[in-house]
Amino acid sequence: MTRALTYAVLLVAMIAFGFGVYRAATLLKTDSTHVVKPSATSAPSLPGTLVVAQDGALYRLRDGQFTQITDSAGWTEPAASPDGSQLVAVRRIGNFSDLYLLTSTGRIERQLTHHHAGPAEANHWSFFPRFSADGTQVFYSYDAKVVGSYQVDLAIFAMSLEDGTVVQWTTPNAFTGGDVNPIPLKGGGLIYTKYSIDDQSQVHGQVWFQARPATDGVALTQPADNCGAPAVSADGTLIAMVCRHSDLQSADVVVESLGADGTPGAPKTLVQGQLATAPVFSPDGKTVAFLAPVVPGGAFQLWTVPVDASKAASQARAVTSNVGLDSTAAPVWVG
Amino acid sequence: MSDFSTRRVREHSGDRRTSPLPRPSIIVLGFLLAALIGLGAYFFPLFQSSTTPVVNSGGGILNPITIAGPTEPFTVLLLGSDDDSKFVADKYNTQSMILVRVDPSTKSVTMLSIPRDLWVPIPEGGMGKISTASQNGGVDAAVSVVESNFHVHVDDYAWIGLEGLIKLIDAMGGVDLEITNPVLDDFYPADINTSSPYSYYRVALMPGAVHLDGVHALQYVRSRHGDLRGDFARSERQQELLLAMKAEAKHLNLADLPDLAQALNGEVKTSMTLQRVQQLFSVLDQYNSANVKRIVLVPPYTSEGWAYGQSVVFPDWNAILPVVRQSFPSS
Repeated sequence: MTRALTYAVLLVAMIAFGFGVYRAATLLKTDSTHVVKPSATSAPSLPGTLVVAQDGALYRLRDGQFTQITDSAGWTEPAASPDGSQLVAVRRIGNFSDLYLLTSTGRIERQLTHHHAGPAEANHWSFFPRFSADGTQVFYSYDAKVVGSYQVDLAIFAMSLEDGTVVQWTTPNAFTGGDVNPIPLKGGGLIYTKYSIDDQSQVHGQVWFQARPATDGVALTQPADNCGAPAVSADGTLIAMVCRHSDLQSADVVVESLGADGTPGAPKTLVQGQLATAPVFSPDGKTVAFLAPVVPGGAFQLWTVPVDASKAASQARAVTSNVGLDSTAAPVWVG
Repeated sequence: MSDFSTRRVREHSGDRRTSPLPRPSIIVLGFLLAALIGLGAYFFPLFQSSTTPVVNSGGGILNPITIAGPTEPFTVLLLGSDDDSKFVADKYNTQSMILVRVDPSTKSVTMLSIPRDLWVPIPEGGMGKISTASQNGGVDAAVSVVESNFHVHVDDYAWIGLEGLIKLIDAMGGVDLEITNPVLDDFYPADINTSSPYSYYRVALMPGAVHLDGVHALQYVRSRHGDLRGDFARSERQQELLLAMKAEAKHLNLADLPDLAQALNGEVKTSMTLQRVQQLFSVLDQYNSANVKRIVLVPPYTSEGWAYGQSVVFPDWNAILPVVRQSFPSS
């Protein structure tokens, strides 16, 4: 009887061992893209409040703690009003996306656009909303297209929050995808990313400045530098952007001074050799937050880097390690 | 037998009868067997895969780290097809054709995208779009039409369908890449896992660095309507995806192989042996983007036009072949 019991115990132990070996092999799998909800983790404390997007939900980061402020319902690309009391964000569902005004705690105040339509091609997109410096308008990218045409390019529009009137600011280059990332300036001008395709079929992104609606504007960067995703500091004296040279697996975060007429100064590279995107200035303009994987091929995390270029190279640090943020949604950073 | 020896035997027999434990060697063997069964269960998908040549290589599970990389340059033809329910099984066009040459000695990779509408002599007769060669002759005909028109020798091929690509990228954990400009398409085919394969939906992929899952990566390389470059844009993006997959593959290890094999089960056809695949993986680490040459046959290498009522791409062989000879010198 004892012997039979011993054999049974040994058999169970062997089966458990075999299962353990199986499980151990599973644990050896690459885990660079495993992510959790931001609210299930914490982060080093940063000054002020940040809002980020992950998997269709918006999260607020304050005092090192993430709080989910919207449902996971297609929310992305938040931006804050000048006084920080409101957010404007995109809600993307299937074939369309709309803009919404939200409180800073994520409660819907108003739907600004209504882009849902029956046939797929009759729907519209709105992306990259930004408040004007005085908070009375929202700038955004919109696909003003001929329904049924293959040409779907984003142009930048401004909508009055008072009466809903809409003004088209930019005219995109045809069949390039269009103009994105509008940043309205205090002086009334607009900075954004414009795309072009040259005779050699090469795509170029350029940061562009336009003083008034429906004018030509001027390029602030060279086509070969492939720059985009601009951000302007709160005092309007600095511009940050992402520039990609020939390497498709890395992009630099660059900061330049910004003249009143949109003229940029000499570029200073803050981050190099990472797949960086979506830079944004801290409220005091001394730090830039951006998104990049911690390990090559991994999910996107929140990083910060000092604007002082002499410190930047050694001081870029990952604030999160496993949250997998929506990299097309630049973080919002308010005081 | 002496009394002494008889007693020893009895004592020994008595010990065996009274001890509940089997011999230690048996116990160790049992645990080893259990470990082997555990490992076997884990790696079972590798043997179950129906990517026939790989399975039949008979090499078992080989650690990529221990395998020496190839020393001679080799050329692989990568083929991608729309294999949804609109098409008859095994009568697919090759929507994507990319010649890849790997030169271990110079640690360089050359990728040449062949336009799917390239108007060429088809070995089975007549002129046609290069993508249609595989409709009747299968993958072998696709290889043959490339070899005969581009004057290259193809060492191996790898074919993948739509769902295969999605599963492969998901099994890799997604890929990171830089979307160069907004990709907008109002007529993207909704032909996967659907009862109405001719329907469509809207795609919008925003520019910048992103982490893409399989579905979105497929959208990125398949969308063509909203881009000035049409199919050439797809070719560019397909090469970008390959580079992103190469970067992602660097992080994979032996334990990831079963998931990959399971994902690719029935979705990939290749002439490469398991050992060749592993050799390829082992040399990927040594390459960086600076050593990757990308060629897309945009004008003036090609020109768009019409033939027999079809929109086609005419090759300028006087321009193309010198580039091919230079980039695929051993061919």
